[in-house]
Amino acid sequence: MSYSSLPEDVLEHVFSFVQSDKDRNVISLVCKSWYEIERWCRRRIFVGNCYAVSPRMAIRRFPEVRSVELKGKPHFADFNLVPEGWGGYVYPWIRAMAGGYPWLEELKLKRMVVTDESLELIAKSLKNFKVLVLSSCEGFSTHGLAAIAADCKNLKELDLWESDVEDPSGNWLSKFPDTCTSLVSLNIACLGSEVSFSALERLVVRCPNLRTLRLNRAVPLEKLAHLLRQAPQLVELGTGTYSADLRPDIFSNLAGAFSGCKELKSLSGFWDVVPAYLPAVYSVCSGLTTLNLSYATIQSPDLIKLVSQCPKLQCLWVLDYIEDSGLEALAATCKDLRELRVFPSEPFGDEPNVSLTEQGLVLVSEGCPKLESVLYFCRRMSNDALVTIAKNRPSMIRFRLCIIDPQTPDYLTLEPLDVGFGAIVQHCKDLRRLSLSGLLTDRVFEYIGTYAKKLEMLSVAFAGESDLGLHHVLSGCDSLRKLEIMDCPFGDKALLANAAKLETMRSLWMSSCSVSFEACKLLGQKMPRLNVEVIDESGPPDSRPELPVKKLYIYRTVTGRRIDMPGFVWNVGEDSALRLS
Amino acid sequence: MGRARAASCSSSSTESSTQIRRNLSTDLRLGLSISASQQDDPFSLPSVGDDDQASDWPPTKPLIMRRALEEEENEGSSATFFVKVYMEGIPIGRKLDLLAHDGYHDLIRTLDYMFSTNIIWSEMDGSVSAYSETCHVLTYEDKEGDWMMVGDVPWEMFLSTVRRLKITRAM
Repeated sequence: MSYSSLPEDVLEHVFSFVQSDKDRNVISLVCKSWYEIERWCRRRIFVGNCYAVSPRMAIRRFPEVRSVELKGKPHFADFNLVPEGWGGYVYPWIRAMAGGYPWLEELKLKRMVVTDESLELIAKSLKNFKVLVLSSCEGFSTHGLAAIAADCKNLKELDLWESDVEDPSGNWLSKFPDTCTSLVSLNIACLGSEVSFSALERLVVRCPNLRTLRLNRAVPLEKLAHLLRQAPQLVELGTGTYSADLRPDIFSNLAGAFSGCKELKSLSGFWDVVPAYLPAVYSVCSGLTTLNLSYATIQSPDLIKLVSQCPKLQCLWVLDYIEDSGLEALAATCKDLRELRVFPSEPFGDEPNVSLTEQGLVLVSEGCPKLESVLYFCRRMSNDALVTIAKNRPSMIRFRLCIIDPQTPDYLTLEPLDVGFGAIVQHCKDLRRLSLSGLLTDRVFEYIGTYAKKLEMLSVAFAGESDLGLHHVLSGCDSLRKLEIMDCPFGDKALLANAAKLETMRSLWMSSCSVSFEACKLLGQKMPRLNVEVIDESGPPDSRPELPVKKLYIYRTVTGRRIDMPGFVWNVGEDSALRLS
Repeated sequence: MGRARAASCSSSSTESSTQIRRNLSTDLRLGLSISASQQDDPFSLPSVGDDDQASDWPPTKPLIMRRALEEEENEGSSATFFVKVYMEGIPIGRKLDLLAHDGYHDLIRTLDYMFSTNIIWSEMDGSVSAYSETCHVLTYEDKEGDWMMVGDVPWEMFLSTVRRLKITRAM
């Protein structure tokens, strides 16, 4: 019996075990009937660039989807490089899904502009809506959240990860009806103003399945113990402000409450930390797998005391106050560590304010055999250190290094860091994401093009010498999906020579480089399935064609130019006449 | 970019290349970007570029930057300072980088353009014609949560105390 004679429902049942998008896409290419069967039973879609496809097209092809994930603005929007009003509006998708996916359960958005109108439409139209994740989104207020709270009867998850939310009124939490008992996850850490504590408490009490609760800074420490005692089943907790007057009764109350939380695996929050209150969490440390101390301005000794009690730690986000000594303790204790992120406490200072150097990262790479994901801000680096790290951890998957002063050379030899990063791509054969910094010539790109065959995302700033650098990357990195470049001397030649490559990628961002407007036009004309968008807030880019374009965003799409471009974005496609604004 | 910065003197290193690095980063934090003509000599100092781009290095997210700004004793160690500007009747505020302006006049000019109006503030000159429908009053919320008229205190002091701005119709 050949596979093609299996009945449809059997095939559908088999396909239901295939969750990965990549595999599903491959299945759909086998033959026409598999394409048809597959598209009717796909339940989840991920659209990495909301402008790559139209909502109508997505809904038409996959009519029975229950979960949608969309991403909007380019990654560099996180660093204020994308002007406000650029786009990434989710409303057209919501409007389409209100009709096309009435049974939609999950919506996950990243870097999109969400309006209260969109949230109200979700609440009104999607009767089985369960999960809303708004990651780094903006454009909405607590009015929109109130609509979600009031009308989504089966809401399980509301996650506002690092979103920018307007807070005109604090009382949206009380819009959750008394009948709502389904919440599993609530993350309001990014909310600026106070929420009604009594409404929060009542909500926590009546939701027995609540596993994740991330509070915002406005929740005082004195009230945390009370909440914890109502929800000892919590697995993930984000505290509010972690400071209070030093009083033994507050401390013992808090410590007691924490010790009752036997399931706690993840801690975050810790705004305004008063070190004396840290020991209150010691009882849960032995079970912790994730610790996010990005906001905790505590010094190395306190951090060491904390981290030394967490042998099961897999993920640590911390400020550079941890210093090399703290990272040494981390390396000694946390043998299960997979991910480390060290953020700068004073990113704009001229002088180092902490004793955190490349040594800390080297020590962690030596001591933590499972380390695979690194984001590290520091002020000095050497090729030797990078080579050591590469040899220690060939299983590295994500390596993002930010040396704070641009174009900083190897501090020992004053040479570029080409060899060091070269070692990273050579030894870490499964590397998927890489961010470069420091003094770098075209050579580093030659290494990357030669060795980084699994690399999917590359971030570059203040690096390289000529177009050859860009050419190495575009011609050599077979798996490249996203490339973002700022302030590099890359121009027209490499871009035009590798035009076809751009259609195999999700997107390319180039700002403050040397790409001419003519080249952009040429690219736009040559490649109809790319949107070549020039961003220029000071006027039409063809009015000063002798200057390089300031910001360029190129992405593949099947829907042609988008219709929501603001006045400062130009699509330089087939029609050479620019829009009149 | 009008904030004057004291030249950073490093006593720990006399390497000229290190000094260039430091000057380079200082200039970059003031929002100047490397111009295309650097192709021949990528290690030279950047020329004065456009100043309409806020400093975007190092790549830390605004939440972390904001916290970093609160931690530092302000005073010119940061290169951007975004505050929200609310126009009466519009619930969503617009973000504005105060450090991209060198004083009140500059700020008012930007706000006039951003919101298509004429702003009335403490020190406005008489040349602004006061059609009441197109004039708005600019106030700011300070550290204590009080709303004050913009322009009453020196610019530097304003920067150290302002939390957000509000534009309301003139009475």
